Amino acid sequence: MNIKFTINNKPVSIDIEDENTPLLWVVRDILDLKGTKFGCGKAACGACTLHVDDVAVRSCSYAVKFAKDKNVTTIEGLGDVENPHPVQQAWIEEVVPQCGYCQPGFMMATAALLKENPNPTDEDIDKNIINICRCATYYRMRKAIHRAAELTQESKN
Amino acid sequence: MAKKKISRRKFLVRGGLGTLGVLALGTYVFRNPIRREIIDFADSFVSPYSGTGTEPNLWFEITKDNTVILHSPKVEMGQGTFTGLAQIAADELDIDINQIQVIAASTASGIVDGLGTGGSLSVASMWMPLREMAATIRKMITIEAAKKLEIPVENLSTQNGIVSGNGTKITYAKAVENVTEWEIPDTPKLKPVADYKLVGKPVARIDLKAKVFGDPIFGMDAEMEDMLHAVVIRPEHIGATYKSANFNKAAQMPGVVKVVQIEDWIGVVAKTYAQALAAKMEVDVEWNIPKKWTEQEIRALISVGNGNEVLVQKEGDNLDDDDKEFLEIEFKSPMGAHAQIEPNGAVASYKDGKVTVILSTQVVGITQNQISKALDIDTKNINIIPTYLGGGFGRRLNTKHAIKAVQLSKEVGQPVKYFFTRKEEFQNDMFRPPTHHIMKGKLNEKGQISNLEHHFASGNVAIDSALLPDIANTILGADFGAIRGGSIHYSAIENIRAVQWHKTLPFATSWWRSLGLLANTFAIESFVDELALKGNQNPIELRLSQIKDNEEGIRLKNVIKKAQKEASYSDEVVNGKAMGFACSTDTGTPCAQIVEVSIIDNQIKVHKVTCVMDCGIAVNPDQVKAQCEGAMIMAMSAAMHEKMYIDDGQLQPTIYGPYDMALLKHAPKEINIHLIQGVDKPLPVGEPPLGPIAAAIANAVRRITGKRLTEMPLKLS
Amino acid sequence: MKTTKINYLIPLLLISGILIASNYSSSFNEYISIEKKTLNSSENKDNFTKMMDVLTHPRCMNCHPSDNVPKQGIDSHPHYFGMEGGEKDQGFKATKCATCHQKENNNFSGVPGAPHWGLAPQSMAWKGLTRQEIAAVILNPEKNGGKDHKGVIKHLTEDDLVLWAWNPGVDAAGNKREKPPISEEEFKKVVKEWFADGAIIPEN
Repeated sequence: MNIKFTINNKPVSIDIEDENTPLLWVVRDILDLKGTKFGCGKAACGACTLHVDDVAVRSCSYAVKFAKDKNVTTIEGLGDVENPHPVQQAWIEEVVPQCGYCQPGFMMATAALLKENPNPTDEDIDKNIINICRCATYYRMRKAIHRAAELTQESKN
Repeated sequence: MAKKKISRRKFLVRGGLGTLGVLALGTYVFRNPIRREIIDFADSFVSPYSGTGTEPNLWFEITKDNTVILHSPKVEMGQGTFTGLAQIAADELDIDINQIQVIAASTASGIVDGLGTGGSLSVASMWMPLREMAATIRKMITIEAAKKLEIPVENLSTQNGIVSGNGTKITYAKAVENVTEWEIPDTPKLKPVADYKLVGKPVARIDLKAKVFGDPIFGMDAEMEDMLHAVVIRPEHIGATYKSANFNKAAQMPGVVKVVQIEDWIGVVAKTYAQALAAKMEVDVEWNIPKKWTEQEIRALISVGNGNEVLVQKEGDNLDDDDKEFLEIEFKSPMGAHAQIEPNGAVASYKDGKVTVILSTQVVGITQNQISKALDIDTKNINIIPTYLGGGFGRRLNTKHAIKAVQLSKEVGQPVKYFFTRKEEFQNDMFRPPTHHIMKGKLNEKGQISNLEHHFASGNVAIDSALLPDIANTILGADFGAIRGGSIHYSAIENIRAVQWHKTLPFATSWWRSLGLLANTFAIESFVDELALKGNQNPIELRLSQIKDNEEGIRLKNVIKKAQKEASYSDEVVNGKAMGFACSTDTGTPCAQIVEVSIIDNQIKVHKVTCVMDCGIAVNPDQVKAQCEGAMIMAMSAAMHEKMYIDDGQLQPTIYGPYDMALLKHAPKEINIHLIQGVDKPLPVGEPPLGPIAAAIANAVRRITGKRLTEMPLKLS
Repeated sequence: MKTTKINYLIPLLLISGILIASNYSSSFNEYISIEKKTLNSSENKDNFTKMMDVLTHPRCMNCHPSDNVPKQGIDSHPHYFGMEGGEKDQGFKATKCATCHQKENNNFSGVPGAPHWGLAPQSMAWKGLTRQEIAAVILNPEKNGGKDHKGVIKHLTEDDLVLWAWNPGVDAAGNKREKPPISEEEFKKVVKEWFADGAIIPEN
């Protein structure tokens, strides 16, 4: 079947036999955007987090048919080197990544959090940011999330 | 100066992958450093860097735009090695950090480390060879520049990738252009460390932007033309073997190219990953299950007094078992999973007897040998291309699954990408082995520790590992992985024993970041605190009094004292909050940690950690700190959350969540790290900080609750 | 068979309509004193028992917690990773129920899904209540979102999220989730009959 949606503000139209194929694999293998990662395939680790209509979604557990006519944003669409998203800018300033594999998922979850809650408390962060980082870069992540909130605020002023 | 000449054809030239006008510089010099490093190994704990091959090989490339590419024999798995190596090389090459790139050497293009990437040794073991190599190459470039500029070498100097003198200059790229014969000078004198501009500075990780913007750099992201996707079905019960299967239905599923049974596994190859996974659900397999192991049986195997006994450390006399005075406490730790987020896997192509494998691995050379042996293919026809690793932690010191990917590619005649499902990952991990410890000790009339004994049992760590030839086990006797941290570093104690008991389990246990250090330090340092409580002494003062003033002892005392001061240690419980102290020495790197803990809703909460470590020269202090932060939180996760167990003959759990791990909310909000440079070379960093924290937490909890927690994961009820 | 059932149900529904009008009360004690009007006592109690067997099954109870923490699995353990119902029973602000749970089950991940997946509102917290108390809460428009009996019947027999209990899919390990003890058809039948009989809550 054919499914149309936009990805990172670009309209795409894909032909796929199984409309239940997880969006993750469509994004990675058909659209060739490898920044969204496979970690567990069970919506448990959060490495595959992206946005569908600005809502954080774990794409390994999201049938591509549900993306029809929606806006999908991946880490590649969050920002780029010239124009980083405040979350990416904060991640660079705090030198958060170690192995880096889980980081796109964390940054997407954080971007969704800041959209809903521009100035999250530590408790808000604890509740919402529940992805898994095996390098345990959590200490710097917390600092980077607060920094990203500041940067977002600065850019508004 | 004795100059050897070497013709260009002897250097491997790398092509493709977007580098312009590639010129490869190889070198002979790596032979000397090896010899010296082996001698170094004899009097330090840093194992030698051991490159492959006897021919000169690719180390550096210089591209037309004057960028130097270092082909690293070590892989990058988050530990920051590429950045550290770039800093070291750039300083001796006289280039800026922006002028150097680092890529992992493949077996076909460069030198891969025969021992793999592990043991926290990458920067430590490359420190001398890489500086010598870089200095030599800078000299070689200068010699060529001298010829082109027709200026004597002595009049030339180098800076920012440019050779200049007598008012003229030339880039490195121009200097080496069209060089067909190289003069290899003797290794030049190295710069004093104090003169380095990058070494010792908190340079931003060179892979930072790739990792923040989602570049395709991991094994999971690799692709080959016409690539198919595979999933594998393996037995779920420990020790089970293949009996029969019906995969008629699966073979008919959309997109399925082939379903094949090989040895004790079944491979499903399809056009897309989702199709392979959907078909896998339709395969019915019957396994021979000779025995359903229980948790109790496994725990009983790993028990002090059971298996082979090896005396690891002996000073003075044994404790007399009839002595009623000594204190004895038993400790335990469970199996742990690596649980790295990027699953294991490989992209493999088998074509006309030639094999190419792209994967995340810590053992590039060993994987090549394993494929060669398993499939009877000459190593020269096997190219292993390592990528960035989505976590290593020791798990990828065994990447034999690359063989399966090659077998599947051979079956379908196309490249295949195969990676583990998460359940396959959990059930086929090479686990951190369960351990059992009996600590015994005694205070004398002066309140000093007169006897300290650590009797401990562990499953395999180093024994049976592909990293060691079988013969090594016989020679070594003890499992040198399991004994890490198992010796007692309180050198002033007169009577010391460390005795290891070893037994092989019916499933694989192996390297897990810091090896035995985590569990052994938990036992020893919990016990020492208990002795301090028994003698009503300050636990830090007691420890300091038990350490001799030799070089190792002084360095250990320095980190302890610094931690005591920085954290303003007190053994009092204030408003329900207590401090806990512990320290360890791993691979020559002493580390002391103090935690601040309270109990909230019957849960142990760690608020603050102070960590002091003497790792010698910190090539990149910011990344050393990042390693400390990550290592301590990973150790907290092991200490307070993680546990694999056996249920119905299967290793469980098989997914995150049930496999409880530390999340962001569990990380301390305050971490203070202080680095001491007690020696003039870099020492291992990535594992030593995992040692103290479990005991430090247990020691704080003991002060708050009066209860000694003796089993990981630490739970109050 | 199907036709007979339907024929049988229509008069029962009519009767229940009358009962709703005449016997509604917000007081719990009054419910249990309601006199049975149509069916004999053993059948009546049987319907209640069967209905409550379903409603107290983990498939239903897991999303009617009293602590705002969703439960998972047949052992009803707290949802992993500290998920909670949040302010609006739909999870936290950014990490919502819908971050993982979609409109239908996902066989690849084993994550269950149904339309408007989320926790029941706090007023419909069942955990810790007796069967009688749960039934009373269900019947109480102040707690059930203003539903009259008709509305409650519709919710119990037609709502996709309620009926998900009979299509619970597979878990993360690929094993089929346990369904409630009676079939979907039988559940719908006993619910309708119980209401038709006056929605009488037996004393124990």
